[in-house]
Amino acid sequence: MKTKSISISTAFAALLMAGAANAASVTLYCSADEAWCQLMARGFEEETGIKVDMTRKSSGETFAQVKAEASNPKGDIWWGGTGDPHLQAAEEGLTEEYVSPMRDQLNDWAIRQAESAANRTIGIYSGALGFGYNKDLLEKNNLPVPACWKDLTKPEYKGHVQMANPNSSGTAYTTLATMVQLFGEEGGFQYMKDLHKNINQYTKSGSAPIKAAGLGENTIGIVFMHDAVAQAASGFPIVTVAPCEGTGYEIGSMSIIKGARHLDEAKKFYDWALTAEVQSRAKDVKSFQVPSNKSATQSPLAPDLSQIKLIDYDFKKYGASDERKRLLKKWDDEVSTLPQ
Amino acid sequence: MAILGSNAASVEFVGVSKVYPGSKVPAVDNVSLHVETGKLVTLLGPSGCGKTTTLRMIAGLEFATSGKILIGGHDVTSIPATERDVSMVFQSYALFPHMTVRENVEYGLKFSGFPKKEIGERAMSGLSLVGLQDFGARLPSQLSGGQQQRVAVARALVLEPQVLLFDEPLSNLDAKLRRQVREDIRDIQTKLGLTVVYVTHDQEEALAVSDRIIVMKNAVIAQEGTPRELYDAPSSAFVADFIGEANLLDCEIESVKEGKAMVHLGPAKLCIPSRGMQAGPARLAVRPTRISIGKPGASNGIPAKLDRVIYVGKHLECFAETGIGRIFAICPDVDAPLKAGDEVSLIIPERGAVLVSS
Amino acid sequence: MRRLASTPSLHPAIVLWMMVGLAGFCLLPWYGIEDGFFNFEWLFDGYPFDEDYAPALFLLLQGKKPWLAPMGLALLLPLFLWKRRKNDPLFGTLLIWVGAAGLLWFFLQGFGISIRGWNFSFLNGLFGELGDRQFGMGYGAVLTGIAFLFLLTLGIAARGAVGGDVFVVSSVGLIIGLVGLFIFMPILKMLFTALITEEGGLSIVSFVGKFFSGRIWSLDCLVGGSRCGVAWNSLLLAAVVGVITTILGLVFALIATRTGMRFQRILRALTVLPVITPPFVIGLAIILLFGLSGAFTQAWAWVFDVQPTRWVYGLPGLLIAQTLAFTPIAFLVLIGVVEGVSPSMEEAAQTLRANRWQTFWTVSLPLMRPGLANAFLLGFIESMADFGNPLILGGNFDVLSTEIFFAIVGAQYDQAQAAVLAIALLIFTLSAFYAQRFWLGKKSYTTVAGKGDAGVHPPLPRALSIVIGSVAVFWIAVTVIVYVTIFYASFVKLWGVDDSLTLDHYVQAFAVGWNEFGLHWKGSAWDSFWTTLWIALVSAIPTALFGLLTAYLLVRQRFAGKNAFEFGTMLSFAIPGTVIGVSYVLAFNVPPIEITGTAIILILSFIFRNMPVGVRAGVASMSQLDSSLDESSLTLGANSFQTFVRVILPLLRPAILAALVYSFVRAMTAISAVIFLVSARYDLSTSYIVGRVENNEYGVAIAYATALIGVMLAVIGVMQLIVGRRDIGRRGHAGVQQVQVAGGG
Repeated sequence: MKTKSISISTAFAALLMAGAANAASVTLYCSADEAWCQLMARGFEEETGIKVDMTRKSSGETFAQVKAEASNPKGDIWWGGTGDPHLQAAEEGLTEEYVSPMRDQLNDWAIRQAESAANRTIGIYSGALGFGYNKDLLEKNNLPVPACWKDLTKPEYKGHVQMANPNSSGTAYTTLATMVQLFGEEGGFQYMKDLHKNINQYTKSGSAPIKAAGLGENTIGIVFMHDAVAQAASGFPIVTVAPCEGTGYEIGSMSIIKGARHLDEAKKFYDWALTAEVQSRAKDVKSFQVPSNKSATQSPLAPDLSQIKLIDYDFKKYGASDERKRLLKKWDDEVSTLPQ
Repeated sequence: MAILGSNAASVEFVGVSKVYPGSKVPAVDNVSLHVETGKLVTLLGPSGCGKTTTLRMIAGLEFATSGKILIGGHDVTSIPATERDVSMVFQSYALFPHMTVRENVEYGLKFSGFPKKEIGERAMSGLSLVGLQDFGARLPSQLSGGQQQRVAVARALVLEPQVLLFDEPLSNLDAKLRRQVREDIRDIQTKLGLTVVYVTHDQEEALAVSDRIIVMKNAVIAQEGTPRELYDAPSSAFVADFIGEANLLDCEIESVKEGKAMVHLGPAKLCIPSRGMQAGPARLAVRPTRISIGKPGASNGIPAKLDRVIYVGKHLECFAETGIGRIFAICPDVDAPLKAGDEVSLIIPERGAVLVSS
Repeated sequence: MRRLASTPSLHPAIVLWMMVGLAGFCLLPWYGIEDGFFNFEWLFDGYPFDEDYAPALFLLLQGKKPWLAPMGLALLLPLFLWKRRKNDPLFGTLLIWVGAAGLLWFFLQGFGISIRGWNFSFLNGLFGELGDRQFGMGYGAVLTGIAFLFLLTLGIAARGAVGGDVFVVSSVGLIIGLVGLFIFMPILKMLFTALITEEGGLSIVSFVGKFFSGRIWSLDCLVGGSRCGVAWNSLLLAAVVGVITTILGLVFALIATRTGMRFQRILRALTVLPVITPPFVIGLAIILLFGLSGAFTQAWAWVFDVQPTRWVYGLPGLLIAQTLAFTPIAFLVLIGVVEGVSPSMEEAAQTLRANRWQTFWTVSLPLMRPGLANAFLLGFIESMADFGNPLILGGNFDVLSTEIFFAIVGAQYDQAQAAVLAIALLIFTLSAFYAQRFWLGKKSYTTVAGKGDAGVHPPLPRALSIVIGSVAVFWIAVTVIVYVTIFYASFVKLWGVDDSLTLDHYVQAFAVGWNEFGLHWKGSAWDSFWTTLWIALVSAIPTALFGLLTAYLLVRQRFAGKNAFEFGTMLSFAIPGTVIGVSYVLAFNVPPIEITGTAIILILSFIFRNMPVGVRAGVASMSQLDSSLDESSLTLGANSFQTFVRVILPLLRPAILAALVYSFVRAMTAISAVIFLVSARYDLSTSYIVGRVENNEYGVAIAYATALIGVMLAVIGVMQLIVGRRDIGRRGHAGVQQVQVAGGG
């Protein structure tokens, strides 16, 4: 009897050990939309058998976490989220240099992003700023179709425009920075002041204005174009506009965290995430950003970056925290306090 | 069947005081008392006099602020209820409503280190002692008030405590039942030779069951003695008035000689035990039953005029106006031809009057 | 004095806690296991020598973490009490020293040494670089800490505290320890965070600057500016909601007790609904009804030929939503009060020639005053803490709770700012809480358990009953419309765009299929649903237990510092969920307690958020239990632990059950704290719903919420069957419904 029980327990232990040995894993910090994050995590698990521990947090939050954990990194790879915090992490040496064999398949803008950060980050998708409108509401209110940034400041749109608060939303900060780059600092702020008169609400989150428009609670929302497309794809009567003056954009990025405990798995994920096949899946979860892999397929609904007039957005300057603070303070003091 | 016995022990308080937190007035003030082994002693007094606090200090449910408490000669002052060998029957009986009668009785035995078999036997003999051996499987809510009371007694008895405490055990029973239950309690107590401390505010109950009575007032002991001593020789106006009814009359002690005092009570003169008093004004307690009502002008009588005569069935209650105040007397002869307005004289026998301190 | 077995050489309680402590020190891994608290892979992965899994003893033997050594030695000291009795003065003194010094060292090393060596720079200056580090505490540390705590309380009891009752002293110690660690410590940590400047230093000046900034306290709107500070917005909203819910609650309480109106029962049933409704859902329904494209707004615009507006966003929408949500709370508080006004008082007034109207104004209403104040303060605190409604209905009307959320999760990620805002919020709610305590004293939760008072409440004045009747009908109508909208919307394909009915949303969320492994939970909601279910269940048990234990201590025991103890345990009631969430994130993502991202942090937050309710339920029902029951148990030789287990707990079974269900329901619908604490692995229903709302997938969000309402109704239904009483949705001061148990039956 005794030997039997021992043999069972050893077998049990062996099983557990085998399980433990098999359980290669990678810890993913994901800063994109929840559904997209799940898609990436589950997809990687299924295809490689590597277990993914995923934590979804905003890019600002993730940056703070990576920084806090610098001496004892718990995460391996950071996927998604706007490029600024990734660039900042690269600058502070919180992320690992890596040149993926996949790189030659990528768009120029993605590689530029990597080069400007000494290969510590890379572009995985990009999205251009724009706006969308609810065509039913526009018709109902007999409003003209807006085509340019300047149109939005016309008095007939009073109470019909929504954008996020640049203090709480990266999207809205990109808008502010874009206007400053398009019209110069003076002109940019004058534009924000004119726009302010038409704004019915500064929302907290970046994509809220177009979601409200989708539900018929708002007419025009200033957002990333892919967010507007997502609403249209869900069946809402939303039309996406690429402003005629040109527009700014963001590059969603990916970085390997310095001191990653599962460096090999992290690199595997990195390469995998850059493949055309994986990037083509984004549209399944209603993410309509432009993929960085040239051969990745895009939804027919997605905005075609090559048709959009993109400004030469200076990520370095406008991503720096001092400049950011200065612009936000100026907006707070000069724009947000104006009567509407 | 196990035979219930007793481990009765004495209780002693040495200068015990209790001040509740947040209160300035002591609930019990420097009380010393002694309860002999195997005796039933009653704590009697009006509500708020400290009798229940005293009882709870014996139980260990309250702790003395100062002084010493001894049970069976051992100092238990700081020992909590759980560790004292004392049981208590509560006013509300405090039967556990979620346990059967038998489980209630067995409850304490389980914590006292008895073997399992003996627990059952003791519980049964406890129940049969109170005549409820057939009710073990019932829930307390299925019993009458008197039966619940007896379960509570059985539950306390089976532990064979050094001291058994009763906190107004009869107050929730109707008048007829009360008399019977108090006799049962007295029977069991004498049969088993238990030391019992009994709290009540009902003086008749106290007189009926006690070996000794301790009368408390305002946190101190007013008087202590046998029922007869307290009734016949109350030391103070308070005790005289609290135990039974008494006329408290102002009088004058003319002289004291060999323990006897010559007392002037209006026109009447009495020669009664002086009880340590000196000549001068004093107070006299007279039981209404001791006063006889005579014709006007009777010798050594106090002239009086009846102003109310009430027929209460077993006797007449007479109230009379006199030169020394209003006097209440009981006339056992219900056929006596007394009516309001009659002039009478009240005769106070020497055995029926006691000098009291005011 | 009673028959006892022969005295053992070492007091059994000492043996117990020494064993526990030594097991923690010598056998179990000292540090937290990264794979999770309930994962036991470590047993086969290098234990006991691997540094990650080693018990403290093995670490020391390998010459590592020398600062752990004093605790091991301290655990052996009680051996000096060999053959000493409990009343030996050395017994208590030594245990107090061992316990206190052990605990002190335990926390000093825990907080002093962290992942980067010394945690405080002055320690670097004092002792030089440490060159070593430690992670969060694990099983071993937990057991050792517990052992020190109970050795300390054993010592205190031996010195005669609370009549030398070990169980009571230990319980007090345990509750103080838990409340200190999981309520006060996080709050203090948050206050500390608020002092941190952007450069990482500490500065009072910068805190003062942030705290008194115009964004929080500006009064511009009064002098014609565009908007006021968020603090004033919160205050205004909370005060108005407090007044409205109190009035409505009184109206309904009067209807339920003083009129023969037939819809009484409907009213009572409806009041349970908002309690079990997941957050956001009412807000969503209000948008669907009153938003720019909402049915009512559109109808109104069509009938009166006006331009539809976004009028509902901001104060009006918040008022509607919060009134709907919090009126039931006021009702449940006030019904007890209204019932408690003795009819004989009112009858006396009438025999003294007051008419109905005069009776109501001069007698009934003044007698209800404490209840009214109570209801107002509850509404006030709930409104302050509300998070879901302002998030979707707030418009440009910013309030503190949402500002806190966006300071943490938004692009700005400013913990210090979140802490500053949380402090402002905390000041408001604590003032309200304190005012309530000060004003109402103990009355606030002792139920009116007076003797049965013969007589009936006089009917209300006719005019008054017509007014309150119509208010109630209106409220019922709105509630019914809102819930019908919710139910209906869960079947609408795409609200406002495609009105066809479909089951798609339910399928998407709750589809079930078969695959090679058997049943396969395909729906997207199952993950969060099961997580929510088990976390809610697991947290309900300690919530009820700690709540009742605390209530027992408060009602039945006298000990030094009881008032402070009571205040401390009730404090978390006044701390809004957002503040708890933020402070937990700040306090528990670094050693010594490193539990962010785990299920434990969710469970802990539920326990300490809901504990006050357990306490109130326990206090209310225990005050109805004749104290002679436990006294008689004590005089029969049971100690206080045996009394608690054998007498009090069985008699409080209905209260326990109610507390369990209540905390279960709260855990299912909580959002404000958990939104900060959920992780991908432990996602909860509410935060999943928030995610769907954020993605404009209203259909799925509402379908999920409807399903949750169904589940909770079922739970409550079962509960009703068991207890046989109605409104168990009771919360706050009213405690939970009890079955009255009196001594002697």
